[in-house]
Amino acid sequence: MSLPSVTATLLQSGGALPEWTALAPTLALALTALALLLVDSISPETKNNALLAGTTAVGSFVSLAFSGWYLAAGTGQSGTGGEIVLYGEALVVDGMYLFFSAIFASVAAMVAIASYDYLAGKEYQGEFYALTMLAATGMTLMASANSLASAFVALELASLPSYALVAFLKKNKGSVEAGLKYFLIGALSSAIFVFGISLVYAVTGSLLFSDVAEALGETELVGVAGVGVLMIAGGFAFKTASVPFHFWAPEAYEGAPAPISGFLSSASKAAGFAVAFRVFVEAFSLSAIPEGINWVILFQILAVVTMTLGNFAAATQDTVKRMLAYSSIGQAGYVLIGLAALAGGASSQNGDVMGAAMAHLFVYGFMNTGAFLFIALTEHWGIGRTFEDFNGLASKAPMACAAMALFMFSLAGLPVGGGFFSKYFLFANAVFAGFWWLAALGAINSALSLFYYSRVVKAMWIEDATSEFEIRSKPVGLYAGIMIAAVGTFLLLPAFGPIIETAQTAASALFGA
Amino acid sequence: MAAFDYAPVIVLLPFLSFLVAIGTAIFARGKNVLPKGGALPGIVAMAGALLLSIWMFVTVEAQGAYDQTLYTWASGPGEGTFTLTFGVLVDQLSAMMLVIVTLVSLLVHVFSLGYMNDEDETGLPRYYAGLGLFSASMLGFVVADNLLMAFMFFELVGLCSWLLIGFWFREPGPPSAAKKAFLVTRFGDYFFLIGVVAVFATFGTSQFSPIGGMEAFPVLAEEALTGSAEGINTFGFDAATWFNIVGLLVLGGVVGKSAQFPLHTWLPDAMEGPTPVSALIHAATMVAAGVFLVARMYGFYALIPTTLAIIAFIGGFTALFAATMGVVKREIKQVLAYSTISQYGYMMLALGGGGYVAATFHLMTHAFFKALLFLGAGSVIIAMHHNENMWDMGGLKERMPVTYYTFLSGSLALAGIFPFAGFWSKDEVLYETLVHGLGGSPLLLAAYAMGLLAVFFTGFYTFRMVLLTFHGEPRSETARNPHGVRWNVKGPLVVLGVLAATAGFANLVPVEKLTGANVDFLHDWLYHGPETLNGEHYSTLLHDVAGYTAADFSVLISAAVSLGMALAGVGLAWMLYNDPSPEEHTAKLGAVKDLWYHNYYQDEFQVWLAETGGLGIARGSDKFDQGVVDGVVNGVSSVSLFSGSRVKRVQTGVVSNYAALLTLGVVVLMVALGLYGGWFL
Amino acid sequence: MNPWIAIGALAVMGVGIPLGMMAVSAILRPSVPEQGKSAIYESGEIPTGTTRIRFNIQYYMVALLFVIFDIETVLIFPWTVIYRSALESGVGLGKVLFPMLLFIGILTMPLVWAWRNGAVEWVKSPRATSRKVEGES
Repeated sequence: MSLPSVTATLLQSGGALPEWTALAPTLALALTALALLLVDSISPETKNNALLAGTTAVGSFVSLAFSGWYLAAGTGQSGTGGEIVLYGEALVVDGMYLFFSAIFASVAAMVAIASYDYLAGKEYQGEFYALTMLAATGMTLMASANSLASAFVALELASLPSYALVAFLKKNKGSVEAGLKYFLIGALSSAIFVFGISLVYAVTGSLLFSDVAEALGETELVGVAGVGVLMIAGGFAFKTASVPFHFWAPEAYEGAPAPISGFLSSASKAAGFAVAFRVFVEAFSLSAIPEGINWVILFQILAVVTMTLGNFAAATQDTVKRMLAYSSIGQAGYVLIGLAALAGGASSQNGDVMGAAMAHLFVYGFMNTGAFLFIALTEHWGIGRTFEDFNGLASKAPMACAAMALFMFSLAGLPVGGGFFSKYFLFANAVFAGFWWLAALGAINSALSLFYYSRVVKAMWIEDATSEFEIRSKPVGLYAGIMIAAVGTFLLLPAFGPIIETAQTAASALFGA
Repeated sequence: MAAFDYAPVIVLLPFLSFLVAIGTAIFARGKNVLPKGGALPGIVAMAGALLLSIWMFVTVEAQGAYDQTLYTWASGPGEGTFTLTFGVLVDQLSAMMLVIVTLVSLLVHVFSLGYMNDEDETGLPRYYAGLGLFSASMLGFVVADNLLMAFMFFELVGLCSWLLIGFWFREPGPPSAAKKAFLVTRFGDYFFLIGVVAVFATFGTSQFSPIGGMEAFPVLAEEALTGSAEGINTFGFDAATWFNIVGLLVLGGVVGKSAQFPLHTWLPDAMEGPTPVSALIHAATMVAAGVFLVARMYGFYALIPTTLAIIAFIGGFTALFAATMGVVKREIKQVLAYSTISQYGYMMLALGGGGYVAATFHLMTHAFFKALLFLGAGSVIIAMHHNENMWDMGGLKERMPVTYYTFLSGSLALAGIFPFAGFWSKDEVLYETLVHGLGGSPLLLAAYAMGLLAVFFTGFYTFRMVLLTFHGEPRSETARNPHGVRWNVKGPLVVLGVLAATAGFANLVPVEKLTGANVDFLHDWLYHGPETLNGEHYSTLLHDVAGYTAADFSVLISAAVSLGMALAGVGLAWMLYNDPSPEEHTAKLGAVKDLWYHNYYQDEFQVWLAETGGLGIARGSDKFDQGVVDGVVNGVSSVSLFSGSRVKRVQTGVVSNYAALLTLGVVVLMVALGLYGGWFL
Repeated sequence: MNPWIAIGALAVMGVGIPLGMMAVSAILRPSVPEQGKSAIYESGEIPTGTTRIRFNIQYYMVALLFVIFDIETVLIFPWTVIYRSALESGVGLGKVLFPMLLFIGILTMPLVWAWRNGAVEWVKSPRATSRKVEGES
């Protein structure tokens, strides 16, 4: 970042602001959640969606602004005093936290804006937005967790509202069923996760990442530690919807309200990666961990299986939303390369490849949320779910369909949106790190993904309509959400430089610590 | 404001006229918005550009050259990166070229009023848009101050050529000819492009002359060869060898654009375009771009004698080779086309033979007299209702005297008859080659011999053309009652006719030798350029680095020999064709006639080459694409669809199955990693 | 010796003993099926209805609220213990009191919300209503 570093030193580390203000992105989201509860308490029966959605969006933008400001000013980054550790080292604020907070806040803002129309006339709107904000708060905390305990609590804070949100459409069987399944699998995964934590604690005697890393280096209980590490990885695999913890994902994404599907598949997934990156780099650091616990191989297996399975399953789906659900699993596989293409020792490639994964998550936050918001729009219009139902839609809603085409091509990695560069950098950095085969598998999977992504575009733009569409209205909020996502996706193509730079700096700082 | 601040305007003026014309063509289709179909904006723009160019010329004379970077469109951070810029270089060479290009272009615009407007052609805005864009590109090429920028405008020039040759795109011939011209010149340009990249890779810069911290590649090359080779990457080759390779790569573009053997085949076909276009593009300016490029970077070529010898050989051979083909052609424009190829051969011969000034001189005189001849031919074609066959003409002398006398002036110049322009320049070309050949580079003597022989053929085909067209009895009804031409045709002809007769006085080397009077103006002009871009510097380089030395040989003898050859050719033509009703004598040539008539079967040979070689490669690639690439893609997709449907079945929808599979997955991973990592020991 | 062998043996024993006991008792005991054995045990009361009844959702609401306050108490308790000594040792009121007020404040907000949304209203269950109607008639 080239912004003036004078202001940087004047923030938290220079004493201009108290240290706890470094958590402002999180606090903004939490306060928004409380404010929403307050509004809902004052008038529980309100259907004043504009106020609720507006509050949520404003809160998200404030959080985003804080993240952007801090990133620009250098808060918690190596240039200005390094990471800021808070609350007995339970939380840490550094470049990675700010970067991911920006992703969560952007996605939350888009979801809030789009929900303005999606929820129109539905009950319990206040709860919807409050839960969304609470989940977002949990996600930012996941990105800042510096001990296994806070990681677990943050993960639960992000998960519990998600279960309720997936089941938000109480009268819709699919939504309720999906919520229950998500909850059950989530409970099982949490159990595995917390069991893993207890095993690691048993071996190391601490929950703090730095202490864990130190103690792991000297431990003789390699087996116990290894099982613990594996189980913790399982907890993250649940959050990121990686194979074999992915079973909940297709159903939850399909059953949930479409904005929530976007929220879960973009932000929640990114949160899982955020905490996974930090835990595995800091607590289970490759330079300290015993030889036997080779989690890089674990993630290589996960990455290959996840991207392959996700893409293969996506190729055979009949409904667009479910296709997107599986494609989101496939995308998780690409991001896993960020953990799978690491090498022991102080290789400078490590930071680059993980930073590329982070940048991909950033771009993905826009294009994937946008795609789900488009689905929300079609649901709002009452258009069917299959590819055929989309036939000829472009003639009725060209703007939205153009945006959807942009999302699809960008997801496939064509140079129309930021997805091209993010994927390119991810694969290229994997090659530089010596894992050309991972990159090759990723590239083959990307080529396959083009097939099913282009099916949507083909249906919308090329096929003739099989039935008449009854498009009654052009919902402002949904359109706004989609357009924000589209503009973001597109602008990230020329503006990808600063993103990848920030991400790689943040990731490198993680390895440097 | 200094005069040079207006230098970019020279390029922008014709571009503006292009925009006006194209805007009209697009937005006011079918409506006659612009008077004269867009000719007037073009004429005004070219007149303005001409005036500015003359101003530049005068200013260069007074203040010296000008080199300025206008826009840096890519620059890398730190060391070892390239800076890509657009800049303007107005020195003696480019100032002269600016005047030539703008003058010829202006005259062609005016002539087009007669050739296109008066003939009620459709699509005039498109035509003038093409002319405007062409002029802009050519002028941009002339003032380019680095090789990359030159390459870009070089390509634009090629594009315009394609657009204009194919102007009558509804007929079968022109589109095909346009395609051929485009493809053949493109073939050469591939080498040029690689050459540009090679120059960047080698020197890190492509500036022609040093400017503001950026070094010039000819200077770097010179330093590399004379000792200090710092910061130069020759890719493991000996510096001289590598420079030869780079020089030959760039030469690829030159050979294509200047229609030199073996890439000359496009030019005769390009005559399918409108005749003013042939005059402007395929005679006076665009084809000159190749030669101009060599002259522009002569500081580089002067360092590598091997490449110089190759240039001289290509030039000499092309001069002779094309001249022989011109002998048997029936269409007036075909004769002129081959004569163009032949004349550019002379310029290449001069460049290769160490005659930088001679080549530039011939470039200038040729621009005038060849434009004149093409415009004259255009006038004849108007008169003949677009019949180009010379055997249907005859006797036009009395019916169109202005055309005849100007055409005659151009023909005398082309044939190299004293004292017309071509005599002086061609003589200097041959003389320079001869003295350097005698001075220790015997290889040049062979090239010289070919050039000298070509003089004879030139004289012959030129006057065969003149005699068949204008003399004798009319051989067809149209020739008896030709269509009249107006001032807008005659005006440009007269201007150029005068120039063709007098342009040679710019550089009267033999006169200077005889009388001692200081009359070699062009020589002096070009010897006073910027430090690394003037003729004097080049001749030093030629002498010191390339090892060219000039023998002491009388310029008068050389001039007398070439004049004698020319007169012999003219005389033979006179003997054979000065007849009220001349006969075809080509049959006497026997087998040679067929060979010449079919252009040495070059077209057939190149088509054969493309079909056997190119088509084979294309088939192979197609097979690879269809079989291997598509096979892999199809294979992947069918495998994935199949396995995708399997995967779908795992997703049963029963949550307890998921829990079981999830747990199973964790256990499998645990066992696998545990065994791998030895956790259970 | 590998310590995992001992763990394995423990696992075998742990699974084996209960299975074995159940198997042995199944072999030894006489089989006398009778209705009273399969009836629901409700501390001597005669059960009404089946076990498969729906609990009112309010029950969970109250349970959840209870958990919240329970945990709140757990956190407030140690604070009260150190509060006075902390003040005496010179820690400012802002550092001792304010965070707890914030914490309680945050907890109060959802309580108010839950109250306003009817979480503590004991709505009449349809079952109870129907029984009441039956009783009157």
